[in-house]
Amino acid sequence: MAEVVLKNLTKRWGGFVGVDNQSLHIADKEFLVLLGPSGCGKTTTMRMIAGLEEPSSGEIWIGERMVNDDLPKDRDVAMVFQNYGLYPHMSVFDNIAYPLKVRGTPKADIAPRVRAAAEKVELTHLLDRRPKALSGGQRQRVALARAIVRTPQVFLMDEPLSNLDAKLRVSMRAELKHLSRELQITTIYVTHDQIEAMTLADRVAVMNHGVIQQLGTPDEIYNDPANLFVAGFIGSPAMNLIDGSIREGHFVTTGGTRLTAVRAADRARVVLGVRADDLRVSEPGEGDIDVPIYAFENTGEATLLTVQWGQQRVIARGDRHLRKEQNDIVGLSLNPDHLYLFDPDTGRRLTA
Amino acid sequence: MRDNTLKYLLVLPAVLLVFATAIWPLVESLRLSFTVGRLNRPPSLQQYIGFENYTWAFLEEPAFWNSVWVTLAYTAVTVSLTTVLALGLALLLAPGGRLRSGVQTLLILPFAMSPALIGVSFRFMFNPEFGLFDAFFGFFMPVFAGVSWLADPVLAFAVCVMADIWGWIPFLTLVLIGGLSSIPRETIEAAQVDGAGGWRLFRDVTLPQLAPVLAVVVILKSIFSLKTFDQVFMLTNGGPGTATQTLSHYIYFNGLKYGQIGYAASVAWLMVIPMIFLTYAYAKFVFRKD
Amino acid sequence: MTGKQKKAFWNAVQTGLIVMATLIMLVPIAWIFMAAFKSHVDVYQLKLFFRPTLENFALVFREPYNLGEKLWNSTLVALATVVIAIPIATMAAYSFSRFRLRGETVMLVTILATQFVPAVVIILPFFVMFRDVGLLDTRLGLILVNLAIVMPFAIWMIKGFIDGIPLDTEEAAMVDGSSRLQVIRNIVLPMAAPGLLTAGIFCFILAWNEFLFALILTSKDAVTLPIGLALFKAEEGDLWNLLSAAGIIIMLPMFILALMIRKFFVQGMTMGAVR
Repeated sequence: MAEVVLKNLTKRWGGFVGVDNQSLHIADKEFLVLLGPSGCGKTTTMRMIAGLEEPSSGEIWIGERMVNDDLPKDRDVAMVFQNYGLYPHMSVFDNIAYPLKVRGTPKADIAPRVRAAAEKVELTHLLDRRPKALSGGQRQRVALARAIVRTPQVFLMDEPLSNLDAKLRVSMRAELKHLSRELQITTIYVTHDQIEAMTLADRVAVMNHGVIQQLGTPDEIYNDPANLFVAGFIGSPAMNLIDGSIREGHFVTTGGTRLTAVRAADRARVVLGVRADDLRVSEPGEGDIDVPIYAFENTGEATLLTVQWGQQRVIARGDRHLRKEQNDIVGLSLNPDHLYLFDPDTGRRLTA
Repeated sequence: MRDNTLKYLLVLPAVLLVFATAIWPLVESLRLSFTVGRLNRPPSLQQYIGFENYTWAFLEEPAFWNSVWVTLAYTAVTVSLTTVLALGLALLLAPGGRLRSGVQTLLILPFAMSPALIGVSFRFMFNPEFGLFDAFFGFFMPVFAGVSWLADPVLAFAVCVMADIWGWIPFLTLVLIGGLSSIPRETIEAAQVDGAGGWRLFRDVTLPQLAPVLAVVVILKSIFSLKTFDQVFMLTNGGPGTATQTLSHYIYFNGLKYGQIGYAASVAWLMVIPMIFLTYAYAKFVFRKD
Repeated sequence: MTGKQKKAFWNAVQTGLIVMATLIMLVPIAWIFMAAFKSHVDVYQLKLFFRPTLENFALVFREPYNLGEKLWNSTLVALATVVIAIPIATMAAYSFSRFRLRGETVMLVTILATQFVPAVVIILPFFVMFRDVGLLDTRLGLILVNLAIVMPFAIWMIKGFIDGIPLDTEEAAMVDGSSRLQVIRNIVLPMAAPGLLTAGIFCFILAWNEFLFALILTSKDAVTLPIGLALFKAEEGDLWNLLSAAGIIIMLPMFILALMIRKFFVQGMTMGAVR
C-alpha cells in the first residue's frame, strides 16, 4: 500500500502532446478516478504509472520509490485492462495464479490464494474453464481476481466496465465499490463514464487535452465546476450554457432577455451555466421567462423539455407527470442558488 | 534486458539470413554481370568487361529479344486470362452454400501441386497418341485430332498458357473470394434497396470496392508470370526451337548449360528492373492504411 | 419468364458453370491418379475402365529409379528448411509486430522484395560459390538456398499471426510480473502456436515443390522429388505410368497439408496484402 505521486509528468509523440506537465498526489488507500473524453490523456497517464509507456519527462513515485526506470514487473502494481487481457490458453485458475507463479511464490501458497481471490469475485465454480467459455461479466471477474490475488501497492483499472452491457455494468460497479472499500488499496481508475466516476471515486481528476481540469471530490466537481469544460462534461443532460452579458448587475442574454435572478458585476461577455434540474417549469407568465417547446421527451422517471430560447436551446427537467406538446409555451424560472458564470475566453469560472 | 536492445537482437538473425540468401546473391549477380564470367575459366581470367554483356544482349542476340517477347506475350496472356477467369469464378463461388463451399475447398489443390508436375501432366495430356486433352479437342474440333501440340510453335505456347492458368486460377479465385467477402454487406444491400441489380450492382458497387484486391492479384500474377520457369521447362523445355523460351529459361540455358555466368547474370539483372517497380507497387498495397 | 422462372434458370446456369469449372480443375489430377494405377499396356490407351495395379508404385522405388532416395532428400531438405526458418522468423516477426524499429519499413519491404526476385538471379552466384566450396549436390547447400524462398513468407505470415494477438494480454503479463522474454515464452508462443504450425506447413510445401534450385544445384546425391521426375524416360519416350505414380507421391502429401491450412493460404501467399 502506498501513495502515488506524479511530478511534472509529460508524454509527447513527435509534436503531439498526450499528457502535458501534470502533477498529482494520490493518497494511500485513495480511490482516484481519471475522467475525460477519449484522447484526453487519462489512459496514457495510467499506462505511464504501470510502466507500459515511457514518460517524455517528469517523475513517477510509488511509495518511497521513483519508478521511472523500473520495468512493469518491478513496480508492484496490478492492472485490469479494458479487454481484460486474459490468457486464452490458460484455465481460469492458471490465469489468476499467473502473477504468483511468475513471481516465484511457493507452490503450496498458490492454490489457497487463488481460491481466496476467486471467492471474493464469486468465481470458484469456474476455475477449470478457459476464458473463451466465459461470459463478458465472468471474464471481467477473472481479470479482477488476477489483480487482487497478490496484494499490490496500487491497483490500476483501465475502463474495466466499458465492455459490459448496460445492466451488468451497474451491478459490477457496485461490486467493484464494495471490493475496493474492503481491500483498502490505492486505486487509480480510468473511465469516460461520469456515473462511474461519481459513484466510485474518493476524488476525481477531470482531464482534457492532456491537462487535469479539476481535481476534487465528486461533490465538488458536480456542484462547484472550476471551468466551462468540467461544467459541460459532468452531468446528464449536460449543463445548459447560455451566452450573454452582465449589465447593471443582471444577466442579459444575447437576445436581450434580462434575468433578475442572476446578480454579478458588469461584464461585456459571460456564459451562464444552469443545470436542467435547476430550471423550474411552470405555466406561461409564472416563471422568469416564457419560451416555446422545441421537443418534449418522456423518460418515464421524469420529462425533458428542450426549449427554444432566442438563438439557443435549453434543456429543463420537468415533473414525471407533466404533459406538453411541441410548440406549447412554458414558463421557466432559474434557481438563484445554483447558477454559474464563466469567462467565455478563458473558460474559467467567475466567482461572484 | 531492455526492450530497446532486445528488439534489434530479435531481428538480427533473420536480417542476416535474408541478407546472405537474397541480398548477397543479388549484388554478386550484378558484379558477375560486368565480368567475362565463364564457368570453364579460372578466376584469374574473369576480368571486368564493363557493359559488354549488356550490349551483347541488346545488339547481338536475337535469342535474347526472342525470349523477351515470349515472356511479355506469356505474361500479358496469362495475367489477363487468369484475372478475368478467376474473377468470374470467384463471383460464381462467393455466395456460399454446400456446392460452392465444397468447390472452394478444392481450389487449393492445383496450387499445392508442384509446377514441375503440372508441366509433366500437361505434357502427358497433350500427347497426340493417348493424351486426354488431345482426344477431347479432337472430338469437338476435328482440326486438332492427332495434332502434335507441342511440336507446333503457336500450339505449344497455347499449351504452356493453359497449364499456367490451370495452376493459378484456383488460387487467385480464393484470393478474390476473400476480397469479395470483405466488402461490407451493408453497401451491397444498400445498393440493392436503392434499385441496383445484376450488372449495375457489380459495376457500381462490387468492382470499385474489389479494386485493391484485384490490383494485388494482377501484380502478384505478373511477377510470377515474368519469372515462369518450372512448367515451361518440364512441358516444352523452351521448344519447339525457342518458341516458348521465357527469360528465366534463357538465363538458365546460357548460364548453366553454356557456362556463360557473366552474360546470364546481366540478362538476369535486366529482369530484376521491372520486378523493382512491381514490388514497389505491391508494397504500397501491403502498407496501405485501412 | 416470371421472376421465379428466371431465378431458377440462372441458378441452373450457375450450377452448370460451377460443375464445369470443377471438372476442368479435377480432371488433370484424376488423370494422373488413374494413370498411376494402370499397367504399362493400359496407359497408352484412353481407357476409363481398367484393371488397377500397384506395380507402378513398387517399380519407382526400385533400381534404376530409386525414388526412395529422392523422397528422403525432399523430406529432409524441406523439414530442415522449416526447422531453421520458423524460429528465426518468429523472433523477427515478434519484434516487427510489437516494436518500432529504426528502418523497420525498409527492412520489411526488402524482405518482401526478395521474394519477388527471380530465382535464376539468386542461383547464379550460389552455383559459382557452391562449386568452389564443394556444396554442389549436397542437401546442406539446398537447405541454404531454400531459406531464401521460405524466410520472407515465414516472417510476413507469422507477423500477421502475432499482430492478431491482443496487446492487452501481453501487457497484463508484464504488469503481473513477467520479463519480456517470459512474456514471449509463456504468453506469445503458446498463443501463436497454431499460427507457427500453419507457417511451418506453408513453408514445407514451398520447399517441397521447389524446382529450379534443385535442378541446378543437384545431380546425383541430393536430387529431390520434382527433379526425380526427369528419370522416368526410356528410349521409346516417357514412362507415363511411372511418372504418374511418382507424381502422386509428390502431390498427395501436399494436398493433405494444403487442405489442413487452406484458410491461411491466401494470407500467406499474398504476404498480408489480402486479409
